[in-house]
Amino acid sequence: MAVSSTPMRWPNAWADPAALDLLRGTAIDCLLIDNSDELVGVRERAQKAGLRVLHPDAPTEGIEIVKGAWPGVKMSRNGGAEAGPTGVPWVDSNGWNILLARALRPEHEVWVDAPPDAGAFITADSYRIAFADSAAYGGRWIISLDKSLAAALAAGKTEAQGPWQRLMQTAAFFGAHKGWADYAAAGVAGVISDFSGDNEFFSRELLNLLARAGLHYRILPKQNRWGTDGLRALLYVDADGPAPALREQIDDFVNAGGMLISPFWPKVVGGALPLAPLDKYSVSSAGKGKIVTCKTPTDDPYVFANDAVVLVSHRYDMVRFWNSGATASFYTLAPDHRGALVHLLFYSYRGPDAASVRIAGRYRAVRAATVENADVAGVQLEPQRDAVEIHLPQVSQYVALELEA
Amino acid sequence: MPCHRQTRREWLWKTSAAAGAWLAGPTLTRAAAPSGPVAVARCRTYDSAELLPTMQKMFDQLGGLGRLVAGKTVAIKINLTGSPTYRLAYLPLEDTHYTHPHVIAAAAHLLAKAGARRIRLLESPWSTADPVEEYLLQANWEPRDLLGAAPNVEFENTNWLGQGKKYARMPVPFGGYIFPAFDLNHSYADCDVFVSIAKMKEHATAGVTLSMKNCFGLTPCTIYGTGAGVDEPSDVPRGGRGLVHAGDRQPSKSAPQEKDPTTPREDTYRVPRTVVDLNAARPVHLAIVEGIKTMTGGEGPWVNEDLKAVAPGLLVAGLNPVNTDAVSMALMNFDPMADRGTPPFERCDSTLKLAEDAGLGTRDLRRIEVTGGSVAELRFDFAGMRQSRRSAPRPRPGIRG
Repeated sequence: MAVSSTPMRWPNAWADPAALDLLRGTAIDCLLIDNSDELVGVRERAQKAGLRVLHPDAPTEGIEIVKGAWPGVKMSRNGGAEAGPTGVPWVDSNGWNILLARALRPEHEVWVDAPPDAGAFITADSYRIAFADSAAYGGRWIISLDKSLAAALAAGKTEAQGPWQRLMQTAAFFGAHKGWADYAAAGVAGVISDFSGDNEFFSRELLNLLARAGLHYRILPKQNRWGTDGLRALLYVDADGPAPALREQIDDFVNAGGMLISPFWPKVVGGALPLAPLDKYSVSSAGKGKIVTCKTPTDDPYVFANDAVVLVSHRYDMVRFWNSGATASFYTLAPDHRGALVHLLFYSYRGPDAASVRIAGRYRAVRAATVENADVAGVQLEPQRDAVEIHLPQVSQYVALELEA
Repeated sequence: MPCHRQTRREWLWKTSAAAGAWLAGPTLTRAAAPSGPVAVARCRTYDSAELLPTMQKMFDQLGGLGRLVAGKTVAIKINLTGSPTYRLAYLPLEDTHYTHPHVIAAAAHLLAKAGARRIRLLESPWSTADPVEEYLLQANWEPRDLLGAAPNVEFENTNWLGQGKKYARMPVPFGGYIFPAFDLNHSYADCDVFVSIAKMKEHATAGVTLSMKNCFGLTPCTIYGTGAGVDEPSDVPRGGRGLVHAGDRQPSKSAPQEKDPTTPREDTYRVPRTVVDLNAARPVHLAIVEGIKTMTGGEGPWVNEDLKAVAPGLLVAGLNPVNTDAVSMALMNFDPMADRGTPPFERCDSTLKLAEDAGLGTRDLRRIEVTGGSVAELRFDFAGMRQSRRSAPRPRPGIRG
């Protein structure tokens, strides 16, 4: 469902209803305000101003609130970036969580509850990333200010205006593009699970790690009906086998030339993959496709996620980055199938200065938009075989690439 | 299995007047260091129409590849330094700091044409045990172009155990400057002929990186990397070779340890010496230095210098890596006889001098037969650009990944 709101968690310290003046002319149209007596005046005036007022902890019809993490490069205690075992900076992103919530409850609007840590100093750019990280995936971050910014804004301090304006500019940008949430996620692999019960940890962590490894996937909940168009691989990750109808659908996909990768799939007769480190998997042919299973079932989603990326192969990367630092991307297809929209997120403390991005697919034109600039100048498109490479000038941390087929 | 490496070693031992002293350290005189022909050529493009005949002619000038590779398994160490996501501006990696795939393919094609039975393309890609093919795809290369360059071409990632059952112990015949021996991926032992294909570049730590420095990447990071196992090799490589650079820890205990942990813990001391140790342990039979397109200022886009993409249009090939690197340095307008304190070795020891002292080959141009062209006519002035660059303020670092 397309997002229709731009929610904000009202700072408890803003007891003066006059603080609502800060919202005038912004995209914020929904406030989550505590029920405390000090905020009665704020609630009343907000409602009179036409703002939707909700209680932060009360479930709200039609809205799915997911608990998220503050997005960005995770820093270690010594100030360096934390990394996974292969040295790639560890990026916290809420994108996978939003996609999962949208897949499980497509009729709901998805909001992300990820306030800054207590005592954290959040930069203006970090606020922009926090908002864009949710909005790019069709969700909405519940705008949550750190205490020092909230206090500085309430006191009318000049230095608070920069971060606030930057944040409001970002909210306005996505508020003006609500239709983007109707674009369909494109993926090279489909992840099948019920994402609950005993399967919850492995399946959800897998989504997180696959996204971090740059694999574009579609989420295929067992309980939903879905198609496999455009997919090269299915990842069946539940310990329990599929129901007969789902099994038949998976078999059809494999027989038609697809690849099934599963850590728990019933043992199949097949040879080991010849190449280490993938020799811990067995592969067997089925129709025109193949089934890849773990010789020994794994309970480590990190290993499985990284192996799956290689098993699917970087040959089918939908997006490749150069000179981009810690990144994420979300590749979507226009409802009319006449183009694509690729969201690019750069989680470094500032945007890249000479990034290149390879987008799979045949496109003849591109328009890059940032929060500050609706049509970035100097973007170059270079056609490649079944792909285009786009050279970006200095940009900020979020870029939307609108590609024309 | 007959091995050229052993033959050459035996030859070195026999011809060395001071062979007995090798074990104590490098004491060979400069005159005793081997010399052989080095072919140089102008090659302006990577088009096969220009590249293939140029390389063929160069190999012919070296006496032909047939006698070296006919019926043999040939291992080629290519250079894919750094992460495949790092570029100099928007340029493809092969135009600046990776050995160009067309040069690799041309070499494979010509080696096969000369009778090579099997060609193995080896590299230790940055911090991963994934197949090299997957690494190449991330660099925007098409691995099939290389696999199809000749019959029986294959890749192996040598940054870990790889396809082998165990690591191969490779002793340093002269005893080694830093390491007496190395534990390497089996591919470096299981070959008859070893080829180093390097990019012609300056290097932040070692002054220049040519066919010898390319062999720094022989060391698997499972043993010699920042995240190497303490007692045994780690399962997969983690991080770079900070261990060899800084000497802040020893390799996994299962591997030969440093000879003398009290030697300087400085990369400008350790890297050149380790490179020589590696070249002695795994001698290069054919050295190819590719400078058709490259960069000045360092070995990759992460170096904090005023980096520039350049097109010297140069190819160098020789049967001895020290000789080949000496001629390459001269083509870069550096003095191959330069020592620490003189460009490009302002801050570091000269790998070439150390290699010469160890008896691996001469760097004295007067003792090297250069064929195919004249150094003076082909020279591209890396040295002059270095001087200009270093007299200007350093650039502000950008976000490059």
